[in-house]
Amino acid sequence: MNPPLPQPRNSKWAYWACQLTGWSLYGGANLLAAALTDHLPWKAAAFEAAVLSSIGLGLTHSLRLFMEAHGWRRLSLGARITRVIAASALLGLLAAILMRVMNLDTWQTGEVLIDPPALRRLFVSGVQMLNWTVLFSLWCTLYFAVLAVRDRKSAELRESELIRALQLSELRVLKSQLNPHYLFNALNTVRALIADDPARAQTAVTQLARTLRYTLSSGQEELVSLQQELAIVDDYLELQALRLGERLHIERDISPASCQVRIPVMLLQTLVENAIKHGIAELPEGGILRIAARVEQGALILEVENPCPSRPQHASQEGIGLRNAGERLRLLFGPRATLSLDLTRPAWAAARAHIPPSA
Amino acid sequence: MRTLLVDDEALARREMRRLLAEFAWIEIVGEAGNIDAAAAQIEQLAPELLFLDIQMPGGSGFDLLARLEKLPHVIFTTAYDQHAVRAFEVNALDYLLKPIEPERLAASLSRVKVAQVRAAAQPEAALEQLFVRDGPRCWFVPLREVRLFTAEGNYVRLSWGKIHPLLGRPLSMLEQRLDPKKFFRANRRQVINLEFIEAVELGVNGQIHVQLRDGPEVEISRRQARQFRKQTSV
Repeated sequence: MNPPLPQPRNSKWAYWACQLTGWSLYGGANLLAAALTDHLPWKAAAFEAAVLSSIGLGLTHSLRLFMEAHGWRRLSLGARITRVIAASALLGLLAAILMRVMNLDTWQTGEVLIDPPALRRLFVSGVQMLNWTVLFSLWCTLYFAVLAVRDRKSAELRESELIRALQLSELRVLKSQLNPHYLFNALNTVRALIADDPARAQTAVTQLARTLRYTLSSGQEELVSLQQELAIVDDYLELQALRLGERLHIERDISPASCQVRIPVMLLQTLVENAIKHGIAELPEGGILRIAARVEQGALILEVENPCPSRPQHASQEGIGLRNAGERLRLLFGPRATLSLDLTRPAWAAARAHIPPSA
Repeated sequence: MRTLLVDDEALARREMRRLLAEFAWIEIVGEAGNIDAAAAQIEQLAPELLFLDIQMPGGSGFDLLARLEKLPHVIFTTAYDQHAVRAFEVNALDYLLKPIEPERLAASLSRVKVAQVRAAAQPEAALEQLFVRDGPRCWFVPLREVRLFTAEGNYVRLSWGKIHPLLGRPLSMLEQRLDPKKFFRANRRQVINLEFIEAVELGVNGQIHVQLRDGPEVEISRRQARQFRKQTSV
């Protein structure tokens, strides 16, 4: 189900370091055992230890190649255990045969090396095969344990990267909603008002704070009543009226029935911001911004109309803001919800949202 | 110093006035709320310094500058258009972010003063510059640094260092502003900067070719050759 995990760059080195160290230790242990029991000449014991380590290294490495080629790491635990035991037994048999071929199957009894009888040799090979099988099973257990730890680490890493990417995109959305150009202009307006009209400056700060708080918390709630949204739109429009002065005229046509309808948070605000930014604020003489809401056959119709320059100057930006709002609307209300921008009349724009009754 | 405030917000202009009240040498001669009004005021009042908002209805501050024949000192004021101001790639220019910090304003004004003193020391307005906008990039181009003007239809291509921006007015109109002692009409399509002449090649049949420093070779038309010889005593 998961895509293949990326291998850490140093994993190959780590694997070989472990292999070589492990099998050297194994060889060393054999040598030590031989030295302690002291019934083999030193040279023979060293040769035997070296052969044992090489057999172990060679077979386990082949096993690893086989397991990787057949994707054993993605098998369920049960399937993996059965396969590991079977493979270990098979390799154990192979190792025992190899030892037999190399005449390393002498029973170490402290006696002088003698050629044991055939039955005894079979018994010795059987014991050696069992030894090897256990050893290979242990090796596989260790191998899969290391893999599991590493997979988990990289999965955690991937998850944290995912979370970071998500937070970044949320931040970008927030930043676009906060509209820094508007924010700093508003602060400049407030600064001018502090000397001219301190009471109005206080009101403006409160309105600005309310707008900001609403925008910042808009990520938490997806739907608000039209009435709630209208309150924030009014704050925003009053601040804009300070900036635009005589240029901004507002007409509202809100039917009482529509006030309690739930709409996506920031939907109307986005439409109104667009109308100001790309419409009224672009016109030296300003114009009338009209906000209308009514309920038709259970569906809410929201309309924001404004005059605009005949050649829209920031068409692409306007597109992004509206497209995001439209996508959110469809996600929340399904395909019957629509948001459209009507630019058919010259020097005039109308955004229209159709919100079906929510399920 | 005669100063004009250009900003579409009355409150922002009032704030600017208040901030500038501290500087006795700044005389605010007028205000404009859009670029048409600003262009008319500049024509009429000939301000030496312009505080210019970038985003305005009917056209941006850049649009205004592109229309001006003679450029005053410009300090841009903007709420959040650093990216727009960064369009200026070559020459440093001044901009203030709104709300404007009094210290930053004081620093900008002292730079203006230094420039003014320097200009006063060099009469004949050798510092004449053009505002050039080509696509998303814009520059203040000092005229004396332009080696060649080439007409392209109703526009003029400047050769200025490694940059070749297009200026949105005809060559004939631009030529009237150029100092005839420094610039020479080489042929129907080109005006050269005499200070950039590196070599002159006289042809057998009275043709003259001029090699410009860093620039192309320009042919002096036969009609202009006599005048060219007289002026440069070749």
